[in-house]
Amino acid sequence: MSAWRAAGLNYINFSNIAARLLRRALKPEFRAEAAKRDESHIRITKWADGKPIRQESSA
Amino acid sequence: MAALRGVSRLLTRRALNTAPKRGYADEMSFTFAAGNQVFYDAQSVRQVDVPSFSGSFGILPKHVPTLAVLKPGVVTVFENDGNVKKIFVSSGTVTINEDSSVQVLAEEAAPVENIDISAAREILSKAQGELSSAATEQARAEASIAIEVGEALVKAAE
Repeated sequence: MSAWRAAGLNYINFSNIAARLLRRALKPEFRAEAAKRDESHIRITKWADGKPIRQESSA
Repeated sequence: MAALRGVSRLLTRRALNTAPKRGYADEMSFTFAAGNQVFYDAQSVRQVDVPSFSGSFGILPKHVPTLAVLKPGVVTVFENDGNVKKIFVSSGTVTINEDSSVQVLAEEAAPVENIDISAAREILSKAQGELSSAATEQARAEASIAIEVGEALVKAAE
């Protein structure tokens, strides 16, 4: 078993780290565009009785 | 006479039906996509070499159906016209189907010529520093992943 898996990380964590490092290793002309993919946001809205319940969005 | 014509028509139709069909079995429908770019879309290629956790392996037409998890490294594509393309993948999956079609799906991918060798070396040395200063087991694990990626990047860019 790999060390990172023993430490409680999974392949998604591994993949995120690897993708981020690849983006940083690109030549400067590609790096700026790639850096925009570093961050991703999700907004979760719960629904009750057919209506969305307003709540604070989380990044 | 009419009966004879009927028989001959039957024979020719039969001959048509049994003509060998050229499907994916003797060629490869190759699809390679990443979060940032689609490199191949069901294109026929000669051979694909992929780095995976179960070892690096080459895929030719008629490869046995397989699933594998990619590790950071270079995917080499041998195109039908003789061109060879080298593309670095961060991570992802490779699927080889029974009909010989192959899908490589990566989180991030870039042609090796887009990698900056000095940036790759910097990532590797920074990761080595992080490993020696890591306090928790998780930080140590993340640093060792970064070293693995850094080494693959430097090797690919050289």
